[in-house]
Amino acid sequence: MEFVDYLQAVTDGVMQGAYYALIGIGFTLIFGVMNKINLAYAAAAFGGAYASLGVAALIGTGDDFGLPPLIMFLVSAIAAGLFAWIVYTICFRFTPDHYELATLMATVGAFFLIEEIAVHSTAGEPMDFPEVLQGIVDDPMIEFSDAFAIRGDLLTIFLLALIAMGLLLMLLYRTKLGLATRAVAQQRTAAQLCGISVDRTNATTFIIAGVLGGLAGAMIGAAVGVLSPLLFVPLTVKGLIVTVIGGLGSIPGAIVAGLLVGGLENVFLALRGITERDMYVMLLLFLFLAFRPQGLFGKKAVRD
Amino acid sequence: MLEVVNLSKHFGGVRAVDELDFRVEAGEIFGLIGPNGSGKSTTVNLIAGIFSPTGGTIVFDGEDITEAPPHVTLHAGIARTFQNIRLFNNMTVWENLWVAQNSAEQKRTGNPLARWMGGSRRAAAAVEEYLDFSNLAHKRDELAGNLAFGEQRRLEVARALAAQPKFLLLDEPAAGMNLEEVKELDERLRVLRDRGVTILLVEHVMELVMEVTDRIAVLNFGRKIAEGTPSEVQQNQAVKDAYLGAGEGGADA
Repeated sequence: MEFVDYLQAVTDGVMQGAYYALIGIGFTLIFGVMNKINLAYAAAAFGGAYASLGVAALIGTGDDFGLPPLIMFLVSAIAAGLFAWIVYTICFRFTPDHYELATLMATVGAFFLIEEIAVHSTAGEPMDFPEVLQGIVDDPMIEFSDAFAIRGDLLTIFLLALIAMGLLLMLLYRTKLGLATRAVAQQRTAAQLCGISVDRTNATTFIIAGVLGGLAGAMIGAAVGVLSPLLFVPLTVKGLIVTVIGGLGSIPGAIVAGLLVGGLENVFLALRGITERDMYVMLLLFLFLAFRPQGLFGKKAVRD
Repeated sequence: MLEVVNLSKHFGGVRAVDELDFRVEAGEIFGLIGPNGSGKSTTVNLIAGIFSPTGGTIVFDGEDITEAPPHVTLHAGIARTFQNIRLFNNMTVWENLWVAQNSAEQKRTGNPLARWMGGSRRAAAAVEEYLDFSNLAHKRDELAGNLAFGEQRRLEVARALAAQPKFLLLDEPAAGMNLEEVKELDERLRVLRDRGVTILLVEHVMELVMEVTDRIAVLNFGRKIAEGTPSEVQQNQAVKDAYLGAGEGGADA
């Protein structure tokens, strides 16, 4: 492989890493506010993507695809937000705070439930996801040479993800809702005593995380071309890896780690092929766990 | 203003608070003292809604708040500080106050969107006022976690005030303060009382309690053993026994 091939692999990977970053942000947001892991998160995100397929099937079919692509992303985001809220209500809302294992197992259950629903309603077949970006963006969008170009669909997804992240950070740091969310994350009891309803803040956080996840789900559908229940586990694992490498609870960490994992993954793919790729990603995770367990941006967390 | 009737809280077999009765009248500074482990902080947590009592009732302003969760007691007009400081450490001083001010604003205007939209000028002005009152205006952009200990204590009181309470629960606000800081706190508490804020002060620093309070209740093993003006309480034999006879610790923090 030439240098330019590596450059191409890293570029594509980093842009694809945008959806790892979004999934990682979802895990990390929920962990930051509740100090708990929601393992059903990525499944709910794909649920949103499936829902957008369903809506598309109702409105338009086949080649004359009825829904404009951006609406497709929007439908997926809204549906996933709704699913995330349902997961919150079922698995978190009524479980006592200190039964962390109970919520964890409940989310595992919710994961399988969503997966089963997806398997049964599609007979286990992968569903074609419309190439929503085709014909809208040039491909390749920017061509430097025969060996190096930037793919239009990936760039679109990447920019869309960046916008979503920007909006999220604005929400967190420029609005009162975000202030309440950060207050609950930092000092739950004190936040309550500032008149903030922890329950409502938690629910809102799940919805926000779900919206990001739904966006990521539709992006993956658009990038891969198919939706399959077989994607649920790998994406959950990747999301958790990104969350750990970035530092639990750190949003900038999730973003950087998502892009990092995306980029490296593509290099591993180019070097060693699809069968070995994930082994090296796991190795990366173990290196972090061994030498920097708090992740890139994590602090040695103290919470009372 | 606040009436605690027959209040009990048991943790397993331990009676942290045991059939406690007291009344705090509007406009007074009421002291709650007692040796370590006598149930003072538990009482504060019960009133603030953090714990739910095993028995008894708490009535505030004619409203039964016995089972009310913290955000409800806050909206009823009760704000508090913590024995071990609980600030939003990764927020600035200004943001810490802004969080509390928001909910007050939301309640006052009755506008559910007040939480979502940018703040009104009045709310911002109120935050400025609390910054000045607590002598923290020059630290507004510092992260709360980076403040000195005394400043953190002041900020916590200011944050409680920013919720515009009628009733303030202060859990050992003078712990770890030097004499000068205690004097400042004393003055601030008097100013607050003059503004019409009723205060329940849990404190070990006797210089402060005996100076500033109007009345005091003394707890020991979760029960009230005395109540009265500071000088009455100082003369009380049961109180002397509780502090001196308690053996270990005595009246320290």
